[in-house]
Formats: sequence, structure tokens, C-alpha cells
Amino acid sequence: MRRLIENRFGMLALVLIALGAVYGVAFASRPAPAAPVRAEPVRAPIAAVSTVCPDPGGAMVTAVTPPNSGGTGQTLIEDGDEPVTVDEPGKLWQKTMAAGTDPMRVHATGAMASGLEAAQTRRALTGAARGLAGVRCVDPGADAWFVGPGPAAGDLKLHLANVESAPADVALVVYSGEGQVIADRASGMLLKPGEHRVVDLKKVAPSPLVMALNVSTGRGRVAAAVEAATPEGVDWLPQTTRPAERVVVPGVPGSAGRRELYVAAPGESDAVVHVKAVLKDGSYALENRETVEVPAGSVATLDLSTGVTGQPAAIVLTSETPVVAGLKIVGTGGRTDVAFTAGAPSIDLGSVVADARSTKEVTSRLILSAPDKAAEVTVTLLPREGKAPDPIEVAIPAARTKELILKGPAKGFSVVVTPKTGSGPVYGGRVMEERAAGGQLVTAQPLAVARTWTLVPPVAEEPSAVLSQPLSQPS
Amino acid sequence: MHSVTAIVVAHDGSRWLRDTLRAVLAQTRPVDRGVGVDNGSRDGSRDLLGEAFGKHSVVQMPRSSGFAEAVHEVVRRLPKAPGDTEWIWLIHDDCAPDVRALEFLLHAADEYPETAVLGPKLRDWLDRKLLLEVGVTVARSGRRETGLEAREYDQGQHDAEPRGVRDVLAVSSAGMLIRRDVWDELDGLDARLPLFRDDLDFCWRARAAGHRVLAVTAAVAWHAEASAKRRRRIAASDDHPRRLARRYSLFVLMANLPFWTMLWSLLRNTVGSLIRTVLFLVAKQPAHAVDELAAIGSVLFHPLRLRRARKARKASRRGYQLVKPMFSPPSLAFRRAWEMVQNQLSGGGPMDSAGRHHAVQQPGAEEGDELLNDDDGFLRRTFASPGVRLFVLLTAVAVAAERDLLTGGLLGGGALVPVAGGASDLWAFYTGEQAPPYVAVLAVLSTITFGKTWLAVSILLLGCVPLSGLSAYLATRSFVTYRPARVWMAATYALLPVATGVVASGRIGSAVVFILLPVYASLATKVLADTRKPARRAAWGLGLLLAVGTAFAPILYVFVAVLGLLAAVSFGGVRRGVGGNLLIALGAPLLLLGPWLATIVHDPVRILREAGLPMTSSPRLAPESLLTLNPGGPGTPPIWATAGLLAVALGALLLRRHQFIVAVGWGVAIVGVLAATVVSRMSTWPGVPLAFAATGLLVSTALAAHRVAEFRRAGGFRRAGAFLIVLVAFATPVAAATLWIMDEAGGPVRRDLRSPLPAIAEAQSKPGQGTLLIRAADAGLTYTVLRGRIPVIGESERAAYGSDFTDAVAGLASGRGGSDAAELAGRGIAFVSVPAPIDPALRRALDSEPTMARVTLTDRAGLWRMTGTVTPERPPADVAWHRWWLYGQGALVVVVLILAAPGARTAEPEAAEEIPADRERVAV
Repeated sequence: MRRLIENRFGMLALVLIALGAVYGVAFASRPAPAAPVRAEPVRAPIAAVSTVCPDPGGAMVTAVTPPNSGGTGQTLIEDGDEPVTVDEPGKLWQKTMAAGTDPMRVHATGAMASGLEAAQTRRALTGAARGLAGVRCVDPGADAWFVGPGPAAGDLKLHLANVESAPADVALVVYSGEGQVIADRASGMLLKPGEHRVVDLKKVAPSPLVMALNVSTGRGRVAAAVEAATPEGVDWLPQTTRPAERVVVPGVPGSAGRRELYVAAPGESDAVVHVKAVLKDGSYALENRETVEVPAGSVATLDLSTGVTGQPAAIVLTSETPVVAGLKIVGTGGRTDVAFTAGAPSIDLGSVVADARSTKEVTSRLILSAPDKAAEVTVTLLPREGKAPDPIEVAIPAARTKELILKGPAKGFSVVVTPKTGSGPVYGGRVMEERAAGGQLVTAQPLAVARTWTLVPPVAEEPSAVLSQPLSQPS
Repeated sequence: MHSVTAIVVAHDGSRWLRDTLRAVLAQTRPVDRGVGVDNGSRDGSRDLLGEAFGKHSVVQMPRSSGFAEAVHEVVRRLPKAPGDTEWIWLIHDDCAPDVRALEFLLHAADEYPETAVLGPKLRDWLDRKLLLEVGVTVARSGRRETGLEAREYDQGQHDAEPRGVRDVLAVSSAGMLIRRDVWDELDGLDARLPLFRDDLDFCWRARAAGHRVLAVTAAVAWHAEASAKRRRRIAASDDHPRRLARRYSLFVLMANLPFWTMLWSLLRNTVGSLIRTVLFLVAKQPAHAVDELAAIGSVLFHPLRLRRARKARKASRRGYQLVKPMFSPPSLAFRRAWEMVQNQLSGGGPMDSAGRHHAVQQPGAEEGDELLNDDDGFLRRTFASPGVRLFVLLTAVAVAAERDLLTGGLLGGGALVPVAGGASDLWAFYTGEQAPPYVAVLAVLSTITFGKTWLAVSILLLGCVPLSGLSAYLATRSFVTYRPARVWMAATYALLPVATGVVASGRIGSAVVFILLPVYASLATKVLADTRKPARRAAWGLGLLLAVGTAFAPILYVFVAVLGLLAAVSFGGVRRGVGGNLLIALGAPLLLLGPWLATIVHDPVRILREAGLPMTSSPRLAPESLLTLNPGGPGTPPIWATAGLLAVALGALLLRRHQFIVAVGWGVAIVGVLAATVVSRMSTWPGVPLAFAATGLLVSTALAAHRVAEFRRAGGFRRAGAFLIVLVAFATPVAAATLWIMDEAGGPVRRDLRSPLPAIAEAQSKPGQGTLLIRAADAGLTYTVLRGRIPVIGESERAAYGSDFTDAVAGLASGRGGSDAAELAGRGIAFVSVPAPIDPALRRALDSEPTMARVTLTDRAGLWRMTGTVTPERPPADVAWHRWWLYGQGALVVVVLILAAPGARTAEPEAAEEIPADRERVAV
């Protein structure tokens, strides 16, 4: 030892050995690279739902909460002056309302809120309003999009209802085939709490043949729905998804009739939209209609009849600029009826359709598409009366569409669609057709995400949230 | 014709009196009459006077008489000399005039017949060329100003005016030649001023009456200043001459100034005296402090005396306009203030506020090698210092690297909250609730930087590199003597990967510790190696700074405590007092940070946290990174950047003579790296331990570095070796600086942050209401609550809202409905703000919440408001002891500051020069 220390290189050697030891310690204690733990969102039952049926007069209103094990709760249906209370999940409440009824609010809390679904369906065999016209009762919101025929092509009525306790300040933006319509009467509508109003869109923008409509509120919330009465027939325009770069328009039935696609690019730049149809034997770009060019702020139409008619389908649109899209379904016969479907989200958490019927005349179709990955869903029917039939399991291969003719009790039933775990994204729609004298009646409704569950994102209290970028760990 | 009566006043001054009398009697223009006054001398002065002037020409006065009284007594008895212009020549017993002094004085009196008072140029008794004064004036603070530099030698530089005559406000009473009619007219020297400033007062009155007062530079007298320098005991008063001088300065000023000017001066001097008292206390000169207080007090508390004096000087105040131009210019006041700062810094203590009785200062002990330069120019001296050059260079490097961080919006990112608010916000936060103590440090700094917190934080964080370089250079002054090695060491230290990492990730806690670390090393060396008193002071200083560092990064304390224990074990038996001093150094932080440290003990994980936002670091830091002192994370250079340092430090191990010290350095480094490994594996940034390691390595290598100079001198291949070593050594700082500049100090810290709090929410939040800020993170959402303003630094460490609150936020974000929003409103949330990118699901959820209304939604941010009742959050309960603790903490800091402050370096002369009572001598 003494010699080592006295050697000129002894100390250097000792230090190097020590450094080697430190390196060893540091090396050995180095933890294995840990995969970043991603906290997944947690499903939580919805605790309260409030929805508004925009114009129930003369229509049959259905409200249902699928059976669940969430304890107690109640649904309050504001049917005129006497609110109806329902507190039994799985039970359909159906009533044909007297003409001229005001918008109806359906409010549920607790277990009854979990999956509450309400819809109104009006059936008229004569007159200007001949046809089946159904709409899913809408959630009050701050922003709603509709795509369909314009006021020049028929009577378009916007039903607005403010059921909140705060006033709502509503502004409308109309996009036509020629671009955004600058309209005096489009903004500054003030709806007091409890007020409802029907706006004739012809007075706002008389000229568009096709239109996209954005209803937004500066403050407050409003329930908005658009009723279209055109020479081809009547129906409600379903709310479509917000402008997005990928839009799926599901629920195109496999029956005969014309199919017309509406695409609007409400942004600042022109959109080149790629159109693909997801059919029962695969997903195709339609010949000669691979792309639609939509100038900024305008709406374009595309006739898909030759490619899609007769086949159940979903249309997938992709574009570099956000677009909204809808589709018109025209029934067959001498006097036609129309139905509309529109861009819809995937029903990852399940979906409920309140109203479906299956009689000799009426056919209810459930069209399910899996444009990305193979999907598997369970379809359960909730009959108004009698025992529920066994659930049906449906497997949809990737990039395919399947159509299901729903066979259920004649008195009417509700449909619950639940994707199985591990299933790919599923999009869908329900179409009801009735054979009637003079021509087929038709109505459609894209499947919306059920109000059963909501995803509770992982949330953490983090003082660094004041900084504009999240901290990331360099590894 | 002139008739001159010389009046020599003696009081225990036989030491000088003989020479004085000889000089008076040997005048080329002989005095016409000579009178001696003896103020009760006990050393034979009386006999000397008798020998000179004859027994009958000596007046005997009681021992307690003052100078003025003595002269009055003579003049009263003196018969008038008929027909002549009669003059009185006042001579102190310790003031020997040159043989031609009277001749020149009278010559000047002939030239300027309106002159009433003349005085010679005074030089020092012992150092015969040393200039004492050529006339005096007074500053508005009452300070007697000679207008001379300290220790100025008489080379005729003040004789420039024609015929060697200067118009002055006053001349000293030593050698003062007074026209007798003026003496009578003005009633002579004021007997109420028995010792000092009587001359100033008299000349002031003469001036105000329209007479001229001249300093005649051709006439010279040598003066011993025996009373002022305490070469003899004063019998006229029991007080210390310093206190008397100060008191009479103020008294003369107050008595002669016009009323309103006097009031203003009184106020000004009272405030000034209080400030000086504090400074004297800090400099541990309590005697001075007492004198200062006593002097102003004696003026303030004797208004009647002042009134009497003012009444007598009614006439003189009317001539104020004649006197005013003679005051010392205000610029001199600034010069004095600057000198005072310099004195304080160099350990001399604040200067004497009375002004020297004459210009001589005690020869200051010149300290340190760098002070021995003969070039006195401040700028030249400053920029010749390598330390300053290094600081300027490092500042330039920092500015080049941080060019994007210097201007723009809010500074923030990484561990730094966007810096907003001012010093008052920090103080309010610190005093309002139990905030971490580093908030107080930042509040103090912000107060110094004109209340601008961003400036204080910028200086600490962005200036981390130059500041740490400076502190490393200065702190090692006492033990690294080879200056190039110090420069290298400081530059390398300042540009360590830790420093650049600190800046890039906004770790202000580590930045403060990094800047202070060399100071700790220096103070710790003093504690271990210095003599008793300096070691004790260093221990208090170390304790205080350690408290500051611990407040910013508690982990520091753990290291220092371990090292301190090791030091206590190894040195405790060797040197007396080391154990106690270490106890002081380690105990002071515990005392100063008390309750806060207690909360840390409750939650030990927080030891690893540092000031600012929690920011974890990867536990997978590579071993080679640790060995090269690289803490990883943003802003750190590649690992080869420090290779030069390691190579030189390893090479230094081959120097036989220094092997031991270098090995000790390596020991510290290895311990530091081991600690860094442990800390790093706990997901904590190992900046502080690696800085420790680097300090050990750098200091030990720098201590051995002078060998390089030896090699260079040796010539030949050794010279080439020396060159190579220098090249390798400087490669590290140069490479680090280059990489840093190229990297643009890139990191999460940015200068373009927008306020996280929307303006509407800020404007409309009521007290107790908060804004919930929800931000999309890597997975899920993060949230924080802003209480009506951008959180100040340190607010992020307040207690969390808890899981109930988090669940409510999650519920709100999920849009499940229910009572989540109401619950949040019940906790004081009035707004919900979501900055971009806004998750559509979150937007939908907030939009669909019935009790919330959207305020705005743009591409950049969305803001929602609670429409229901918002219950303001209860302010944190006012803990009674907390307020008391804050007062206590402030007092403790002051006490520790005083204990740590350097005292005046020159020993108090009182003790050394105490003269035994039986050998008391001389007067005036």
C-alpha cells in the first residue's frame, strides 16, 4: 500500500479504480427504461341528461332508458302542464302528442340518465308534410351543424329552444353552393330562458339550393333542429359532426332510391375531398367520383346513386381542410319521401335508438359499418310490450358494412347497440321505411353515441399547467 | 501700523509648547505683545509660558476652561493699543508657526484691508509636508470640509491663486489672526463652544457681517491636533472629542442658518444621523453609533440653548447670502457617500460624520494584493482586474447564448412559473400565508430591483453564469493565489453543464445554490482555518447564506451537514472553536427557516424538490453523464464538453508535491458523483451534488496549477507540455461557451409566454374566486387554480386541492352532468379556462354543462363562467403565531447579519492610546 501511494502513478490508479467503481454503481442502479404509463380514461355513467324534442306536435315521442344497474333515478318528461315521471329503466314511454305542442324537455337524473334516449317521429300520409319525419331529441348546445337542401329547394325551418336558466344569444352562419351567405338577420337572436322560436330560413337566406348551417351561441345554450319540407318529401336534418378532416356518413340503406351527398368546407381554404364508400363487400373509391372539390365556404353536392343505391353503405370523406357532410336518401314510388343522414361519430360507448318499428309495412334497417378495423357489436331490442328477444351478435369485417333488418314486436321497440371490447370503431344508422300508397315513406337517423357512459379523462392537479407546454421527460 | 498681540493658550501641552513658543518669539515680524494663558496645566506649561512672556503676562485659568473662554479673558484684560490697527493672534500650544508666518499674514492684511480674519496654511506637526488645511468650509450636514484629499502633501498645489491668498469661509483657530475691532464687534469666539467649531462659528459670523476671511498660503504653521487626535485628555468636557465635534458641528449649523433652512437641515441631519447610526451598528462600532445619536440628541433636546444662540446671531443670519456660496458644493456630498460605501466595503466602517478636525486620515491598512496597485483611477483599476474582465466576458457569452430570452413576454417554463407581479405581491404572499421562505429572499431582491420581480429573477437565472463565475473568482481569492488558475477555475465553474442546464430549465433554486456554492467553500475555509473572531463571523455568514440556499434547494443542507460533520470530526480536536462555529453555521438555517423545515420533515420527499414548479428528471441518467459532471436534461452539452477538465484533474494527480490535495479534491468529486447518482435515481435533477463534485475537482486542480508556470519557465519540452495542459484545460470552458451559444440556451424556458389567466377572468374575479385552468397533457388533463392573478413564484407549493376537487374536475371534463360544476363553484371556482389545443370532447362537455356559460371560444383559448352561485373560498385561517414568527424571523435575520458583517478592520484607538491619569497632559 505504501509503495502504491509513493509511486507517482499510484494515486492516479486509485482514483481511476474509484471512478470505475462509481461507474459500476451508476450503471447497475440505472433502472430499465420504463414504458410510459398512459392513464386510460375511465368510463363513468352519465349522471344527468337534458334533451329537447323540438316539435313534438302530431308526432309520436319515444323516451327510453336501457336497463342498467346504476341504482335509482327518474326521468321527467314535460308533457304540457303535467310532467310525466318514469323511473323504470328498460321501459319505453311512447305517446302521440296533440298538434301544436311546444318543444318538450326530457330530463333524467341518476340511473335513468344513463343512456336516456328520446326521439320524435311524425307520420303523415297526405298533404305537404306527407312522409315519415323523425328526429332524435337534441341536447342543448353552443354549436350545431346541419347540411342539406337550402331554402330555395323547399321550406326550411329552424327550431330553436332555450330550456336553460340563462339567456342565449344565437348566431347563424349559412353556407351555400356559391359561398358563405352574408345575412342581416343571421345574428343577434336573443332567446330568453324558456323561450322557443321557429326561424324560417328563407327569411335569412332565400337563395341557396343547398346549404350548410352553423347555429352557434355567443352565450348560453340552445337546442337547435332543422326541418326540411321539399317537393321530394319531408324530414329533419340530423345534426352532423363539427368540421373535421375525416367525416364518416353512416346509415345509407340498402334499398332503392336516389342518394345525394352534400359536402361543405366552412373554413378559409378550398377542400379537395376524397370520397370512399364502405360497402358490404369492401371499401371503394367510386369511379369518376373519387374526389369532390369544394371551394372555401361553399357546399358541393355529389350524386352517389349509381355507386351506392341498393347497397347498405357508409361514406368516408377525407380532406386536408375540415369539412362537414350529409346525405339525402330519396325513397321510391310516385310520391317520394326523403330522409337525411349526416356525419356521425363512432359509437365506441354504444348507441341507443329510441324508436324503431317492424310491421308488414314498416321495415327498420340497422346499417353498421366498420371502415377501419373489424368490429363486433351486440344488438338488443327493447320492446314496448312483451318479452325482449335475445340479443343479436353482429360481426363486421374491416372496411365492410352490414345491414340488419330489425324484426321486433309490432308495437315498436328501441334498439341498443353495444360494441364489444376490442372491437374497432363502428358507425351506423337506422332507417325506417314504410310502404304506402303512392310511394315509400322513409326516415333515417345516424347512430349517436349513447348517453350511457362518458369517458372521464385522467386528471391531475399540476401547478405546471400554467405553462404553455406540458412538461415531457427526456429519457 | 499694526499691533499684534499673540495669545498662546496652553493646557497640558508642554510636549509641544516649547517649540511653539520658540516659533512665536522668533517671528521675522516680531509680535508686539505676547500673552500666555494656562488652563490649569499640570505639566509645567505655566512655567514655560512664564519663561517666554514673563510671569506677569501669563493668565491663570481654571482647568475646565475652554479655548474661547481663555481668549476672552485675555482680550478683556488687554488694554487697547492706541492709534494702531490692533490684531490678536491666536496660538494653540501645539501649533508652531513658521518664522515668516506673521509677516505674510500682515502683508496679506495690508493688501486686502477689508479682511478681518486671516489664517496660515496648516501642516502636520510630525509629517512636516503633510497638508492639514488651507481654510475650511462646512457641508450642509455640518461636516467640516477642508476640501483636501486624504494625506495630501503640500507641493504648492493649493497656492495657485494670486499672492497666495484664498477667500474661505473659515480658518482654524490655530494661528488665526483677528482684527481686534472685529473681535469686539462680533463678541469674539463663542464660549459655549469650548473646544471645536468655535473657529467656524466665528468666521461665519465675520463673513456674514461683511468681512473677508482669508487663508494665506504663504504663511505656514505646523499643528499637532493634540485634542482631536486624542494625544491628550480634554478637561473642558468629559465627552469623547468625536461626539463633541459632531455636536458642535450641528450646533453651529443650526445656530447660524436662517429659520426655514435650519428646519430643513435639522430634519435632514436627523434622518442622516439615524442612517449612520444603523451603519455604525452594522459595522460593529457601537461607540460611534452612540456618539452620533448623542450629538443629534443634544441638539434636538436643548431647543432653548439653540434659541439663545440664534438670538445672539440675528445679525449673522441676515448675511446668510454672503456665506451661502462658501459652503461645500453638493457634489462633495455624493463623493462622501461614495467614500463611505468604499470604506464600508473595505472594512473601514462608515466615515466620521463630523469631518476630521483636519484632513489627515489614519493611514488605512491597505488590504490584499490587488489593492496595492498604484494606479488610482477607478475605471482603470476596475478593468485591469482579471476578475472583472472575466465577468464581462462571461456576461457577453451569456447575452449571446440567451439572446432569445432577454426580451419579449413573460419569462417562464421548465421549473419557472411565468414571472409576473412585483415585490409587493411577493411580500403580500409571504406575509399573508405560510409561504416558502425563498419567497422572502426573492421579495427582498425584487425590492432592490425597483419592485420588478422579473428583473430579479432574470438576474439570478439568466445571470447565473456570469454571477457564478464572479463568485468563484472572488471567493477563492484567499486560497488560490495563482491568478490564471483562478480565472480558469472560475470560467470552467461558470460554464459547467450544471449552469447551462439551470438556465435552460429555469431552475432558479439550483441557480441560487450554484452562485453561492463558491462562497460557501470560501466561508467554510475561513471557519476551519481562520483565527477566532473572523472564523466566528464567517460561521454566521455561512449560516445565513446556507439558510438562503436551503430555502431554495433543501437538498443543499443535507450535503453541507454531512460535510460539516466530517469536518467537525477531523478538525474539531485540532482547532479550538471549530465545533462551535460549525454548530453556528449549521444551526442558523434551522433557526431562520424553522417552521418551514418542520413541514419538510413531515413530507421528506420535498427535500428533493427545489424552488419553483415540480420538474422531474429522468432516473435513467447515463453513468457516463454522471461521471462527466453532466446532470442531463435540457441545456446541457454533450458529455465530451467536460473532458478537458477531467483530463487536467487526472493529470494533476501525477504532480507529486500536490498529489494529496488533488486526491482530496477527487475524493470530494467522487462523493459528489455518488450522491448525484443516488439523487438522480430518485428522479431528481442532480445539479447540486454535481456542482459540489465539480467544485472539489476545480479547487484542488487550481491549487496545483501554478506548477504549469514552473513548467513554462523550465523551457524545452516541458514548456510544450505546459502549453498543452493549458490548451486542454481551457478547452472545457471554451467548448462549453461555444456549444451554449450555438444551442441558444435552448430549453423549456422561454420569454414569449402569454399570461395563463385570461384578461376577462382576471378583471372579473372577485376576491376569493378562482379560475380553473385545464390543460391537455400527454395523457389526460392537468389542472391548476389561479386565484384572480397569475400565481407568483412559490405559490405552486401551497397545499393541493385534494382528490375530491380533482374528481369534480374530472367529472366536469367528462361531461357526465351531475353536481360537479356546483361542487367546484362551492370551492370558489368562478371561471374555467382551457388554453389551446382544446380537446373537442372537453369543449363539448363544458358547453353542455347547464350551470356554466361560455364567455369566449377562439382558436387560442376558451373561457367558461359559472352561472350559479360561487362561494368565495375562505382565506386561509390566520394563524396567530405565524405573524409573530415573521417578526421573529426578520429580527433573527438582522441579528445574524450584524454578527456576520465584517467589522471595522482598524482597531479602535481608544483602548490603545489610553493614557494613565497621572500622566495627563496638554490642552486644546
